[in-house]
Amino acid sequence: MPSRAMSLGARGTSLRLNAGRFLIIGFFVVFVLAPLYWVVVTSIKPSSDYLTVPPVWFPAHPTIVHYTAALFSYRGFQGLINSIIIASAATVLSSIMGTMMAYSLARFNTGGQHLAFWVLSQRFLPPVAIILPIFLLFRSWGLYDTRAGLIFAYTFMTLPLSVWMMYAYFRQLPKSLEDAALVDGLSRWQAFWMVAVPLAAPGVAAAAVFVFIAVWTEFFFALILTSRYAFTLPTIFRAFLGFQGMQYGEACALATTSLAPSIVLGMLVQRHLVRGLTLGALRG
Amino acid sequence: MTHSAAANLSPVSVGKRTAAVSAWADRHFKWLMVAPAALLILIFSIYPLLFSLWVDFVNYDFQIPGHAFVGLQNFVQVVNDPLAWSSLVLTAILSVTVVAIEFVLGLALALAMVKMFRGRGVVLSILIIPLFISPVIVGQSWALFLQRPFGPADYLLGQLLGRPVTISWVGEVPWAYIAIVVADVWQWTPFMFVILLAGLSAIPSHLYEAAELDGVRAAQTFRYVTLPQLAPIILLAITFRLLDAVKLFDVIFMLTGGGPGTATYTMSFYLYQIGFQQFHLSIATAGSWLFLILLSVVIMALVRRLMRAEAA
Repeated sequence: MPSRAMSLGARGTSLRLNAGRFLIIGFFVVFVLAPLYWVVVTSIKPSSDYLTVPPVWFPAHPTIVHYTAALFSYRGFQGLINSIIIASAATVLSSIMGTMMAYSLARFNTGGQHLAFWVLSQRFLPPVAIILPIFLLFRSWGLYDTRAGLIFAYTFMTLPLSVWMMYAYFRQLPKSLEDAALVDGLSRWQAFWMVAVPLAAPGVAAAAVFVFIAVWTEFFFALILTSRYAFTLPTIFRAFLGFQGMQYGEACALATTSLAPSIVLGMLVQRHLVRGLTLGALRG
Repeated sequence: MTHSAAANLSPVSVGKRTAAVSAWADRHFKWLMVAPAALLILIFSIYPLLFSLWVDFVNYDFQIPGHAFVGLQNFVQVVNDPLAWSSLVLTAILSVTVVAIEFVLGLALALAMVKMFRGRGVVLSILIIPLFISPVIVGQSWALFLQRPFGPADYLLGQLLGRPVTISWVGEVPWAYIAIVVADVWQWTPFMFVILLAGLSAIPSHLYEAAELDGVRAAQTFRYVTLPQLAPIILLAITFRLLDAVKLFDVIFMLTGGGPGTATYTMSFYLYQIGFQQFHLSIATAGSWLFLILLSVVIMALVRRLMRAEAA
């Protein structure tokens, strides 16, 4: 692969072109950071600093009261715990089921193109088209407003992602080691668990992180399928906005609590981002 | 009974049975491997779709008891609801608008970022942050940023223009539309950018070298080398985004709540309101089926294309 620096360095640049480039980049960096900065800074502002003209860019007396209030007086802590449990469990289930299916699709072409096609098409199904029956089903099965219910829903939701990312990964992985294991007398299951999965571990890890982020940030399923008990972090914000006027500090404290872990995780899988965004269709 | 059970537990027959089970499991290996995932998708996708097909033709409404057969009445109700049409039109206009803006900005950003410079890694990390944030938080952040009159947006615009600006970003048309577009563009331009950047980086350098030897100008190189090379990836990125954009819900929910009035109802928001706020379940379901049929044409086309890309 030719290096990026060479390929475009060869074209030569003028000073004006360079200025234009950095203007675009600079504008975007500010655009991306501005609302985030505002949320984080609002979360540490004393309440008296909210409603001022001009706005307070940085509080003279930063405070963490909104964090403690949001987490411990407004059930934010329960939302955080629910989010952690639900996202972790769904990630484990989705990764296991997805890796198994992907292996079968990649090595045996199971179900031909149709099965792979069917799984992929789930990715584009609008949630609003299936949520009503799922809601009714959950109520009659006792899964409504339970963590277990949401874990299953999210495992389903993220299966296209984990199946297709792993499908692309297994297809790149040579078969020879698994064949050698079979010759040595291992069963197909042993060849899968003891040879193929360890080889694919980096791929599984990257896919798992994308699944975790997808679940962590999801709103619609959680909005409809939970109420007082199994609610996740993203569903709490609306409670703050309608409630006793506007609890800006609390809402921003929770937002910061929610976005920090997913940004950190995102940075970890940055290298695999193109693959994650396109379900393995592009390798980037 | 007890006798045969005891016989079955003898070491020899246990060994035989395990061997038989594992031979069976090995024979059906490939199907057993897809079974858990396939089963879950059946429960969460095929069953709901079939169930809702039944709901389409009966009366399923929490305000009216019983499930009487009503024929096509649910569909008629949706089709005759002006709000359904305006939501559909707004969904189409908004998705095309945001995807177009995200494409242009994403391409500009990718072209600006493709060449190495000091600190490029850090800048890249910052630019992709929005992809890891819940759309709900994006909606909330922008609601706060655009808030009248205490948010920074009105104040900064006022400083820039040299006169007080008091735009009610989420309460007035057309500002509410602009606020939604800004929030969506903020979150998803990085998607376009990242994919297009990967595409640009993969263009072989000898094409540019050849163009330079022939003395082709930069604009023409872009037109005749970059764009054709990038075309398949552009198509992929746009269709991907378009199919997600038509589901637009979270940002509406947090930013405008569909308002002012019903001005910012998208299809997802409309169906949510009918189904979960007014509890006309069968009308909402009929609407979501019609919406799904409209979408599935596009979905099929994209998925086929992705399968071809994967096979290649």
